[in-house]
Formats: sequence, structure tokens, C-alpha cells
Amino acid sequence: MLLLVIGLLPILSMLAKSVIVDGRLSLASYGGLLTSAHQWTLMGHSLALSSLVTALTIAFGVPLGILLGKTDLPFRRFFTVIFVIPLLIPPYIIAVSWFDLLGREGLLAYFLGVSATRVTARFLFGLPGCAAVLFSIFLPIPMLLTIIFLRTINPRLEEAGRLVSRWRGVMKGITIPLILPGVLLSAMLVFLLSFGEFSVPNFLRYNVFPVESFTQFSAFYNFKAATAAAVPLAVVTLVVLLTEAAFLRERTYQLRPSPEVRRLPPVELGSYRKWLLGLVMILGFVMVILPVIVLIVQSAGTKAYIEALGWAGDSLLRSILYAVIGATLLTFFGFFTGYLIQTKALSCWRSVDSLTIFLFALPSTVIGIGLISLWNTPWTNFIYSTPVIILLGYLAKYTALTSRISVTQLAQIPSSMEEAAQVAGAGWFRRLGFIVAPLARRGLLAGWLVGYIFSLRDTGITMLVYPAGHETLPIRIFTLMANGSPQLIAALCMVMITATLLPAGILWVIPGVMTRKVIR
Amino acid sequence: MKKPVYLLVIICVMIAGVLIWHQAKTPDNTQVVVVYVSEDQVFSELILRDFEKETGIKVKAVYDTEETKSTGAMNRLIAEKDNPQADVYWANEPIRAEVLKQKGISAAYVSPNAKDIPPGFKDPDGFWTGFSARARVFVVNNSVKDKPMTILAYTEPRWKGKSVITNPLFGTTTAEIAALFTIWGNEQAKEFMTAMKRNRVAISTNNGESADFVAAGQYGFSLVDSDDAVNRMRQGKPITMVYPDQGENGMGCFIVPNAAVLIKGAPHPEAARRLIDYLLSMETERKLAFADCAQIPLHPGVQTPPELKPIKDIKVMRVNYAEVARKMVETQPFLKGWLGL
Repeated sequence: MLLLVIGLLPILSMLAKSVIVDGRLSLASYGGLLTSAHQWTLMGHSLALSSLVTALTIAFGVPLGILLGKTDLPFRRFFTVIFVIPLLIPPYIIAVSWFDLLGREGLLAYFLGVSATRVTARFLFGLPGCAAVLFSIFLPIPMLLTIIFLRTINPRLEEAGRLVSRWRGVMKGITIPLILPGVLLSAMLVFLLSFGEFSVPNFLRYNVFPVESFTQFSAFYNFKAATAAAVPLAVVTLVVLLTEAAFLRERTYQLRPSPEVRRLPPVELGSYRKWLLGLVMILGFVMVILPVIVLIVQSAGTKAYIEALGWAGDSLLRSILYAVIGATLLTFFGFFTGYLIQTKALSCWRSVDSLTIFLFALPSTVIGIGLISLWNTPWTNFIYSTPVIILLGYLAKYTALTSRISVTQLAQIPSSMEEAAQVAGAGWFRRLGFIVAPLARRGLLAGWLVGYIFSLRDTGITMLVYPAGHETLPIRIFTLMANGSPQLIAALCMVMITATLLPAGILWVIPGVMTRKVIR
Repeated sequence: MKKPVYLLVIICVMIAGVLIWHQAKTPDNTQVVVVYVSEDQVFSELILRDFEKETGIKVKAVYDTEETKSTGAMNRLIAEKDNPQADVYWANEPIRAEVLKQKGISAAYVSPNAKDIPPGFKDPDGFWTGFSARARVFVVNNSVKDKPMTILAYTEPRWKGKSVITNPLFGTTTAEIAALFTIWGNEQAKEFMTAMKRNRVAISTNNGESADFVAAGQYGFSLVDSDDAVNRMRQGKPITMVYPDQGENGMGCFIVPNAAVLIKGAPHPEAARRLIDYLLSMETERKLAFADCAQIPLHPGVQTPPELKPIKDIKVMRVNYAEVARKMVETQPFLKGWLGL
């Protein structure tokens, strides 16, 4: 019910307002939808960009996942963490970093001269640059899902295969077909996330459909046109999700690691080990380390950091506060929806699952417009003019993440535990609070961490709905980009990266085994 | 085994505590002002912080982003017409202030600090008051010997493929094109635009990019805001700033002042008036003139940096901003077609 109010009601309110003109039903706002060549061009750009990013991330992410999850490649865990970093920070920060490197006055111009950067700037500002930046951000999705699905394979199948074939044959005939649902799921996720992404294409001036919706809303404030422009985005999202539901959902919504997974030794790479290690190092350096180094160089010196904290210290604290509250609510809410989905306690469990995924895949602009449409009234000022509106946005958008983590964790708890308590007379809340939640604590902690990171990095929803005086750090960076010095922006980006990764690092180190086990 | 319940209670108490603390630290009604700002945050926030220091009134601001082409704040005001959240709108040009007046979103307020501001730069009914202006100037690469002196240079054969202009669908370029429509009339203005297109003018995404193109020598000249030109000059870029159409028969240079607007139904009207008075003060104009945004003071007698001409020495394009605002809406379909959209 809460999910309906938080997530679905704003979308329905937005749609209802777009078809009511002067108190009458009218489809006038939709009259111009996809009728101009310009809109079709934008849709073509969106589809081209998402397809290219999906193809690239699958082509690189799946082999990378196999290398890190299945072989004896050195430093596998280290590389896994390194490659995940770009997914954890706001996408446009990666774009800023590449701009600082390849732009007309970037670091490359300092070493190679301005003429060289004319070529690189042309590459960066357009489809290739956009695809490259989004590729580095979404690469961890197929990589991680490949690693996770590899762990669900019963090693006996591969062992049997090894009796008659080399690893290459086993991979081709057994392993890859078994992880195929994971590959398809990651392709779907990458497609939808890059389809709905607007900050990177906007920064790199590649016009895509979400930018059209955002511009209609923010630049022209044509609410009805913005809603109409958002509809194709929602339709594409829905079509992809329905396809996923029809072909994949039963095979992907519950992931149980095979109990015998540790029995099988990793695939030995032999003479290829060094070469593959070199390739992974190069990829990690170019995709992750280099952008961070560029930001560090650009922001060099304490002066920029002092200035950055002077400009955005309050926003930083506010961001952390909202992210902590958001993560806590997301964990709580995700746990209940996860429990509902895992136990199929209510007949609507499939609808709840689909709704959370739909809201996660829906472009942030659409959710933001929906929230404003529903809550911008004098009677709901206690929501609209306070940070509660931001928290509602987090809940609508990111519950799918904590819910899925809870499902995975709950699937590993034997149902006999809860049944025994039920037989002993414990009520539902008692069973949930004293049996299920403590047993699922690792999942709850991982869910909290994911909730914190995604709440902290959120730009799309917060930018549209934040009340006066409540801007978060990603928004502050966005607004300061207009005429802010590159040093200041780079320093702010570094502060943002630190604020995102520090809690993850602390939780990684302090509770020790607990978090690591979850992430493993 | 009771740990999870305790943990849950502690978390709920913490969240409630944070929210109560948040509410408690909110100042009383006369000690807070909510302002929506279209001027770049790096410049405007410093002024607002000074206001906080000098008056003790807490400023809560919403700033525009470059991505919304500085119209996000105004559009938020339109969305909140029936439920106003803002007290003051600091527009970075008067056209948006005019749109708000026409939509019944702003309220009249004649600040005592507005009396020395020339009448052409303020609304006669007090719905907005201009301050600290940008001039629309040519930025010309120093390698160009015979510099363009009139906006008609865009149509001259010698500049074929050598000039650049910012996308006329957004920002101050839209306003200036609309101003030309009001002065020349539709037919002559459309002819000018067509001739400019025929002369293969390049289109950039923003004024900063136009200035960079000219500084890099990719194009000979461009029409930009004076702050973009001054910025590049201060960075030592090889460019010169030219105020167009300054001759005896010239139509003058288009001036784009900031505008302070009081919002109708403002939740904090008293603090709002004090903020508007502060924005319209000579001291604020002096600060904005010497900041990197290099804006031209409209009060007589305010000191200006050496790169800028005082307003009294500039031949100003005589326009009615209300008419320009109306024309801007009217010309959108033509401009979209002009851009091939």
C-alpha cells in the first residue's frame, strides 16, 4: 500500500493531469508526441546509445566476470572492488573527469597541445564519448551478475563436463548456457539504466529523449508536454520489463549460491595468466583509476579543497544526513517487500516485485515530475516544502535494490526456522523481528550500504524536487558548474567520491567478516 | 533476542530526533527568506551570504543549473503559483520577470533603492526592478583587423562561415533576437535571420562556448554577454570586446539587467522586501561589477572595473522588455524552424 502511495500514485497523478485540460478529458498534450522528426531523432539517439552501451558492457563485462569469478587470476577481489567504483558515484562526475582530461583545455592539451584535443573533444562530445562514459559506469553490472550467477552453478555439472572436455568446452556447453539468464538480466538493466540516464548525455551534449522530457519540464515548464514526453520512456521501460517477466523472472528473482561452489578449484589460466592480468589492469586503469587521477590533479592543492568545503560543506552534511535516513528507510521497507516477495505471503507479491523494478528502471525525471504533481499543494506542504519529498523520491526509486538484496538473503534462511517459531505460538511480527531479521542481518547491512550509496549519488530526482535551502552535494556541484572554476568542481567531485566510498570502506573494515561475506 | 526491536526503536527515535532538530533550527517567519535564483550560483551566493551576515536573516535558496538554461527557477515559480514557496526571484534577465508579471505570479514593490535606476530598466508598476546588467557585445579575435561594428556583420559576405552565434532558442540570445523583432518588425527580422543562415553562421550551445571558439581562432567573432568577454580577457585570451551599433544612427547595444521580483503571496514578505532592497543597493552593484561576472552597474556613480564601460557611456538599444517577452514566445516556432528542428 505504501509503495503504491509513494511510487505509483505520483505517476498516475502526473498522467491524470496531462489528460485533463480545463476540467475536460483531452489528449491534446499527446497530439505532438513522436510526430516531429526531431522527437524521432531523439528516440533514435536514445536507442542507439542504450544499445551501444549494452553491447559494450556485455562484451567486456561477462568475460571480466568470468575472469574474476571463475579463474585463478591474481587480485580478483581487489579488481572486483575497483571496477565497481564508477557505479557508486554520480555518473556526471565521471563525465566531468573525462572532460578535464580530453576537453579543449584539458590535461591532454597541456601535454599534446590544443590541436590533439580538438579530435578528442569531438570524440567526447557525442555518441562515442557518451557511450564510453556510460560503459565505464555500467560495466560492473554484467560483471557482478556474471560472478553471482557463476556461484549458483552446481559444480557437479562442470565436473562431469571436465571428464570429457577441456575447460573451454565446459564453458561453452555448460557454464555459459547456465549463466545466460544473468547475462540477459544484466543486458536489460544496462539498457534501461542507460536509456533513462540524462546527466551524462546532457553534459556531453548528446541529445536523447530523457533530456527532451527534462527540458520540457525544467526549461519550458510545460508540465503536460513533459508528461507526454515521458510516456515513451515509460512504455519502453514497461516493454523491456514485461519481456523480462515473461522469460527470465522465474530464473532470476531467487539466487541461491550452490552449497558446493567452493569445492571446484578455479580455472587455471596457465600461460595466459600474465597477459590477462595485464589486460585487466589496463582496463581498470583507464576506466577507473585514470578518471580519479585526473580529478586529483585538477584539484591539486589544499586551497581548492578548502574552497570546496566553504562552498559546499553544509550540502555535504545534508547529503550524508538524507542518505543515512534514506538508507535506513530503504532497508526497512526493502526488507518487508523482500519478505513479501520471497514468502509469497500475499497474492499480489508478483505485482509488488514488478512495481519496484518498474520504478527503479523508470527515468528519474518521470518520478520527479510525478512527485511534484502529487505533493505540490497547500495541504501537503509538510511534504513538498521539507526534505520528506526527497526521501519519498529515494523510496520510490531505490526500493527495488534493497528488496532484491533481502530476497536473496531470505532465500538462504530455512523456512523451518520460522515455522518452528510459528508452531511455538510466535506471531508474525515476533517471528519477523526475532527470527528472520537477525538471520538476515548480513543482507540488511548490505542493503543499507547500497541504499546509502544510491541515495547519496542521486541527482535526477533530487534536482527536480529539493526544497529551498535543502540542496544536496550532487546538486550543489551541478549548480556550481556554471562558471565555477574547474579546480573547485574537481575538488567537489573528489569530496563527493570520498563521501560515497568512505562509509563503504569503514563497513568493509570494521564489522570485518560480516560485510565482506555479504559482498562475496 | 530483543536486540532487533531495540535497534528499530533506536533508529526511529534517531530519525524523529533529526527531523525535530531540523524543524527546531528553522528561524521564525521574519528571520528567513526564500529566494529562487537564476544568476550563476558562484556569483549570487556570495551576495546572499553577505545579506545573511549583515541582516541576520537566513537565506534559503534554489539555484538554477546550466542544464535548464537558467529557466528552471522561473518554471518552478510557475508550478508553485497556487502554493508559493518563494519570496523573491532573482532573475538574470528581465524577460522572465515580465513573464511572471503577465502570469500574475509577482507582486508590485517599489524599493527605495530603485529611485536612481534609469526608468528603461525597471517595470513602471514596480513588478520588477533591474540592477547589475550585462551588455550584449561582440567578442572578436585579435587577428581580425577590420572589426565588425554592427549586428548586420552576421550577414556580410566577408564573414561567410567565419562567425558563430549561440543557439537562439535559449538564454540572452533568444531575448536579443526577440528585441530585434520588436525594433525591425517581423519581416525585416526574419530576412536578417535568413541572411545570417545563408552566410553559414555556426551555432554554439552557450555564450561561453562561442567566446571560446573565437578565442581559439575558429571563428572571427560572436555575439556574447559582456561577462563572457571580460572573463576571457582577464584570462589573457587574444580577444577584444566591441559594443555593437554605437554609431550615430546605430540602434545601440542590447542591455540585459538582472531583475529582483517580489512573489505574490510570499510566505515571508517583510524579509523579502529587505532582500530586494539589498540586491538593488549600490554596494551590491559594485560587488557584482568587480566579481568575475563583471556586470555593469545601473546606479550612476558606482565604480566599474577597467574592462567595462559605465552605462552612461554605452549607446543602449531602446526596447520595451514587456514587448520583448511577448515576442519571445511568438518567435519560438520560427526559431525552431530556423534551426531545422
